Formats: sequence, C-alpha cells, structure tokens
Amino acid sequence: MTSAKIAALGTTRKMLGFSRRTVEVEFDNATVADVLRQLPTLDGRTLYDNLVCDGRLRGDFAVVVDGLSLKADQLNRRLQGGEEVVTMAILRHLHGG
Amino acid sequence: MGVAQSVPVESNWIPSTCGMCLHGCGILVQVRDGVALKIEGDPSNPDNLGKLCPKGNAGLSRLYDPTRVLKPMKRTNPQKGPGIDPKWVEISWDEAYGIVAQELGKVRADDPRKLLCAIGDFQRILLWGWPAAFGSPNFFTSLGNYCGGSYHPVNGSVDGSFAAINDYDLCNYWIQIGSGDGFSSHLHLAGSAKRMADARMRGMRVVSLDPRCSIASAKADEWIPALPGTDRAFVLGMAHVLIHELKRYDREFLRDRTNAPYLVKNDGHHLRSADGKAMAWDLKLGAARPWDEVAAGNMALEGTFTVDNASVRTGFQVWTDLLADHTPERMSQVSTVPAGTIRRIAKEFVDAAQIGATIEIQGKTYPFRPAALNYYRGSQSHSNGLFDNLTFKMINMLVGNIDVPGGHLGVPLDHRGFFVHPGEDGMLKPEPHQLHPAPPFKYPPDSTHLMEWFPIGFDAGQLNTETLLDPKKFGLNYEPEAVLLYHSNPLWNLPETDKVEKIMAKMKFVVAIDIQHTESTQWADVFLPAHTFLESYLLNCLEPPAVTGHSLRQPVVEPVGDTRDAYDILTELAERMGFRDDWNDVLNMVCGYTAQPKYLLDSEKRYSVEEFWDQYARSVYGDEKGLDWFKEHGHAVRYRTPEETYMPYGDLRIPFYFEFILRTGEDMRRNFTEVGLKDWPLDNYQPLPFWKNSQVIEDEKAGYEYFAITFKEGLHTFADTMVMPWLSEVSEKDSVHGGVLINSLTARKLGLKTGDRIRLTSPAGSIEGFAQVIEGIHPQVFGVSNTLTRYVVTNDRAKERGTHFNRLLTGSMRYTDSATGGLESTARVRVEWVRA
Repeated sequence: MTSAKIAALGTTRKMLGFSRRTVEVEFDNATVADVLRQLPTLDGRTLYDNLVCDGRLRGDFAVVVDGLSLKADQLNRRLQGGEEVVTMAILRHLHGG
Repeated sequence: MGVAQSVPVESNWIPSTCGMCLHGCGILVQVRDGVALKIEGDPSNPDNLGKLCPKGNAGLSRLYDPTRVLKPMKRTNPQKGPGIDPKWVEISWDEAYGIVAQELGKVRADDPRKLLCAIGDFQRILLWGWPAAFGSPNFFTSLGNYCGGSYHPVNGSVDGSFAAINDYDLCNYWIQIGSGDGFSSHLHLAGSAKRMADARMRGMRVVSLDPRCSIASAKADEWIPALPGTDRAFVLGMAHVLIHELKRYDREFLRDRTNAPYLVKNDGHHLRSADGKAMAWDLKLGAARPWDEVAAGNMALEGTFTVDNASVRTGFQVWTDLLADHTPERMSQVSTVPAGTIRRIAKEFVDAAQIGATIEIQGKTYPFRPAALNYYRGSQSHSNGLFDNLTFKMINMLVGNIDVPGGHLGVPLDHRGFFVHPGEDGMLKPEPHQLHPAPPFKYPPDSTHLMEWFPIGFDAGQLNTETLLDPKKFGLNYEPEAVLLYHSNPLWNLPETDKVEKIMAKMKFVVAIDIQHTESTQWADVFLPAHTFLESYLLNCLEPPAVTGHSLRQPVVEPVGDTRDAYDILTELAERMGFRDDWNDVLNMVCGYTAQPKYLLDSEKRYSVEEFWDQYARSVYGDEKGLDWFKEHGHAVRYRTPEETYMPYGDLRIPFYFEFILRTGEDMRRNFTEVGLKDWPLDNYQPLPFWKNSQVIEDEKAGYEYFAITFKEGLHTFADTMVMPWLSEVSEKDSVHGGVLINSLTARKLGLKTGDRIRLTSPAGSIEGFAQVIEGIHPQVFGVSNTLTRYVVTNDRAKERGTHFNRLLTGSMRYTDSATGGLESTARVRVEWVRA
C-alpha cells in the first residue's frame, strides 16, 4: 500500500468536494495517475477523467508533487510514501502590470 | 487589527518598510505617545543603506493628512461625472460591506467577467489575485504598462530576470537611456543613488541620452539630447559602428554564450537537424552540424553558407546584414544626434568594455566587462517597445557584458531569483511572463484588455479604452458593469481620459478601496478607507538591485480613524460573497505554497492579517522566522552572492536571435486567420530589431510638428503623491515642475515666454498649461512633469498648476506594440498660444 496526501485547490477542490485528504493506494509503486484514478469526483467520474485527456494532463490544470510541477506527460511518476500531491487549475488571469 | 507589540509608550524607533513607492526601503519610525514623529532610513538594511528619498520622509503627511478618508462612505448623489459632488455620507463598515457584497455578488452570480478590477498597490502583488478568486480576468489600468509593458517581457526572455541594472560596484562606463536609475527613479532610488554616488567617486563615467536634461542628465558627464522614441536609432547606429566600422565585439561571448552562431534559413527559422536541433557551421569540417556536435572554438559566428543548395546565415550575420544601412548618418537623421557623437560613444563604450578581460571574485574567475548601457521607461515605452528593448540588450551583448561583473545585470522578480529552466538548443528557456502564465489564444477573448492575444506581452490595460466602448468589435460577448478600485486611479493613468469617463459612466456600481479621494473615486458608490503603510503589515520583497530578502512593514501606530487593512477588506468581501475558500486557494497559488504544501492555507479558515503574514514569513524562512522574528529584527535582507548575480543560469546560452518571437507571431497569425481577424496587427513579431518609424514619427505628416513627453522624478510616485502637501510644496520650488517645458529657441520662434498659457493638441486630445522656458530640453520637445498631471486633488495649489498629460495619448493598437502590448508614452503635438 502507498499512502499519498492530496491537496486540492480551486476547481479541483470543488470537483472532489474536499481540500485535504490522505488516500491509500491499493498497490505499491503507485503513480500519480493511479492516485488520480482513485479519487472520485462529485460528477460520478474520477479526478483522472477530469484532468487528463489522451493520457496527458490537460493544459488548464497543474499537478505538483514534491514541489515540482509535472509536465503533461509525467503522470506516470512513481510516488514515494507520504508525498503530497497538489492539484489545481492554472490561474492565468492574474493581474499584471 | 492590533498594533505591533513593540510600540512603546515613550519615544522609540520602530523598524518597518516604506510604502511610498513600489520598492520598499527599510525605515525606522520614531514614535512617542502613540504618535509617529519622524521617518528615517534604516542603516541596518543593505537595500537602502540608511538612505531615504523625499517620498519616504513625507510618509507622515499621508498618515496624518487632514483630507484622508477615515470612515466608510456612501454616495448619495446618483448623478456621476467629472466635478460632480458625490455627496458622501458616512456609514458603518457593516453597511458598506453589505452594499458592496450585494452589488458585486449580483455581478458575480450573473457573469464575474463583468467586474473590472483596477489594483495599483504594487507592494502587495499577492493581493492582485483577488479578481481571479472573484472570477474576473479584467485588468482595468495601464499604470505599470507605461514602464514595463515591453521591458519585463524582454528581460524575462533574455535571461529569466524581471528587470535589469548595470553593475554599480564594477561598471566604469555607464550609458543611461531614458532612465533615472541611480539618480531619481526606478529600482530602489535611495540605495541606488548612494551606489551611483560611490561609483562616480571612484571615477565611473556616465553618458545620458534623454530629450530632457533630466536629473541623471544634469549629473552625468555628458548629456546627449535626442528626439523621444528614437533612442533605438542612436543605439542601432552604435551597433553599426561596432560591427561594420570598428569590427570590435566580444566574439567569444557571442559564439559560446548565445545562439548568435546558430544558422538561420531565409524564412527566418533556424536550420535544424532531422531530430530538431539547431545547426551551426563547423569551421573545421566545413559543414553544418547540430549545435552540440560542434566544438566551441570551431563554431562560425559570422558568415553565409550553402546547405543543401540553400543559403543560410548565422544569426549574427543576419543582424550584421540588417544593420548595414543603419549608418550613424542615417540614424542621426532619425534621432538628431550627430553622427560623430554616435561614433564617439560607440568607441568609448567598446574601449571601456575591456573585451577579453577577466576578474576573480571569491576564488572564481569571471569575464570582466565594465561598460554597460542601462535603460528604462523613457527609452522603450513606445509602440515599437519590443524592438527598443531588444536593441538595448543586444548592444550589451555585443560587448559580452550580460550578467558578468561590471556589466548589465538581470534583476529577479523576487527572492526566488532568476527563472532558470533549460530550453531548447542548449538555451535558457524564455520567460516573458513572470507575473502569471501566458493565457492561450482565445476568441472570443475573455478579458477586456485582450490578454489572450498577447502571448509574450504583459497586460495592455490601455486597450480597455477601445474594447469597453465597442465590445463587439473585439468579439467580447459580455459588457462589464462594475468596477473595483484598489489604490488605483484609471481616470488618471489610462490614456484618452474622455473615453475612460464614458466607460465609468456605463458602470452600474463602483467601489473604491483607498486612502484619499482621486479622479477615479469621485465615480464610486462606496468608499472603503484603507490603512496607510504605517498602519499595516506586509512582508516586502520586490526587484532588489543588489540585495535579496524581505523587509517587514508593520503598524507603528494605532490606525487613524475607522480605517482597515486592504487584506482584511478584500477577505471580508470574499467572505460575504461566498468565495473566501477560492480566495485562500488563489493566495496558496500566488504565495507559492503549492510547492510547500505544509504551508497551504486551509480553504475553510479565515486568516487574520497577522496570521497570513506569519504563514508567509515561515514559508520563506522556515518556522523559526515567523512574523514575531520580523517584528523584532525588521528585515532579512542580505547582499546577493556572486553566484546569484553573475550568470546564474550556468552554461545555458541566452538568445541573440529571437526565433521564438517569430514563431509566436506565426502561431498568432494562424490563430487570427482561423477566427477571421486577418487584419489584427502582428508586424512586431520579429526575431531581430531594426529601425522602422512608429506611428508617432508618422504623425508629423498630419501636421503635428512637436513631441510631447511626460517625466517623473524622485519626489513623486505616479503623481499619486501630488496630494501630499509636503511633496507638492517641494515640487513648486523647482521650476522644472512649474509648467510645460519649452526650449528657449522654440519659445523665441513661437513668440512665447514663461507664464504664457499654451495648448498642446495631439491626434487624441488637448491639454493646456503655462509655458516654462528652459534650456535643458530638446528644441522639438515639450515636457510635462508628472507633478502637473493630477486634475482632481485636494491640494488646491497643485490643482491650479494641473493639466493631464494622458489626454494626449491613445490606447489604440496603432499606438501599441503589436507583440508586447506596450503602449506609446510619447505624443506628437501642435502648439498654440492661448490668448486671454
């Protein structure tokens, strides 16, 4: 079993219905994608279904693991026990100036 | 909100951070019996070295200004317009919050994009995320764009920095173009002035190019007047001299540290290998090879070659060829600077650069290039600002001085340092957007300032003056109906004031969070009075020229009146409108807590001001340095190390040939074509800069003979400070702020004398003012100090002298850089004597 902490911000928090949770993944050497597949969302699907398209992270979302933002094709990154996965929609419309 | 625990009963000096401009010098505030008596620079803070500019010294007059708004206010006059009395009445905070939450809540429920937000508190960048939490993408101001619209994207594209400054400690020959660095403005004035003075004392020479004999020009060894917006011509002429006439440039730097040797095809793109690598010419093999397969010493910097029967050139050769006709004589015709002066300065510059020299610093050997060109607003806030910025960077590259001792140094956005990410072809990844990720192209656009249409630019707030009055023309499928002002004054800082007034007249509800009334708050329905910097918290870190770290702003006295911290106000509004959880999440993102989940704000919890800044302090400095540590010590500011300052990106090359800009332009052309907007201007997406006339230059053909410029000095911040009597009085004593500056030769020609009322008329509008005849301005230029630009102020004497320069400017795309969104800050004008 691998445990992973999940922090969901903004849109992804609303998808999941919670902001922080520790989840147990059912097999060792779980990947980030495995964790996302185990997170049911309020629309009856999973977070993976909402955030991933053709195996790649959608461009309007970000997944941060151990302080590093994963690239779209890095969802197969294996998790170490206790690592925190932060999911969020990318904020592009921040003020500039 | 409480007062810092260290506030004593007897006189004491409390460490804090100045808030009179965006930079934040360390200060000590003398407090006795709960009254702030004096502000001085904090000598323990290596940023400002104990120095403080006039604005900081005058901070008390903002805290205790009798015209300050001290209670929430509600408008009772439904009529709105310039000069119309809002008939304010005091109300409770609860009533004020209730009105605002109800009105903005309706907007949010309907379509949150219908809220325009104007936030001008530059020190609290974190709070700029509030509109995103609300759901609005709109940026309703062009305040920063006057200076940084093209500047920041180019700094980020060249070396992952946000700004730049020459090396005060080691530079020997400093060319200053359209900037007050070290003299009157830009990065941390007080400390920079000390550093500049020290450099002059050890013999550094300063040459200043400016249409006006600015403070920098007056103190320089040499002032060279040029026409506004033609600084690039002067520098392109210098580049021509270095490359074509003197044939002196830093070949090793260009070959080994930039992509200048990469081969370019006739279509402007790099020649690439089958696996996509940029190719270079191997002089030893006499063939094109992938860049990483050519030994550095064998890579051709110059030359035209044939590959597969097609002609290719190195990127350096492309610019060399482009500059062939940019002779000093031709550039002189543009700028009015004599060709001989261009040649002399070019030679002095390359002589002083000591190409080939090295220096050892703390046991490490670096290239040593003690000559550099520094620039800022006046030289590049133009409709070809991208070309301006690229040119100024590339003249520095020619002498190999980028990010090396003595040279032109990148200044990172904050304590996290340069954005260093490997890009393609062994290069540093360009980071034109640093305040937020670039939004993808979208049609219809989401934002009224069209940020989806400027992938390498910043936020072109001036475009609001076009889009909001004709939304359908730009494809906008909604019309804004409310405005939130947070220490921002779009009526003052947007161009074409008449249009901004029409926009405000369309708004159903306006709320202002501010300290005093402004041109914009007179349109507000509710005024929420905020704390000054002497009553509020902030952990400040912004654009350090030589140092890094945070300095604490903390309350030094009890708040005056019934005022509140802007963080508290925004949080309460979010709470009442039901999106405080989203607000916390936005703060989690902009504070960088996503990379440090330990510090993530709980979306369910409301954090006090103290709790918020305590969390932020601990996230940066560890749990042992929370808010209490900063209250005691004041700051954690230190000098940047040589490793942080000099070439922090290691062996990664920086761009000399900007292919990614060309590619971005091609992508945008495809995007616009697909949605049927074939005429959208894209002509500035070029890989190299050259001279082409801007619209301002062309306006001469329509009979606009003269140029008009505005300028700022160390006394004032964005003219926001003109309402402060101490500073206003000082300005009055300086004739440069006494009226519209006009050269004596021009005055004689037009029959004008000091005190005559004159009217300047541009293609956008007219202003009137009193002529001030001086010698220190280019004969074809009229100058308007920013201290004259306020027209609704509580200071009657300032009002009498006032005019409003921005009425001469326009926010249209014809006067906007098509690649960066940078706006044109110069106007062409006709001049008339207004006879009584």
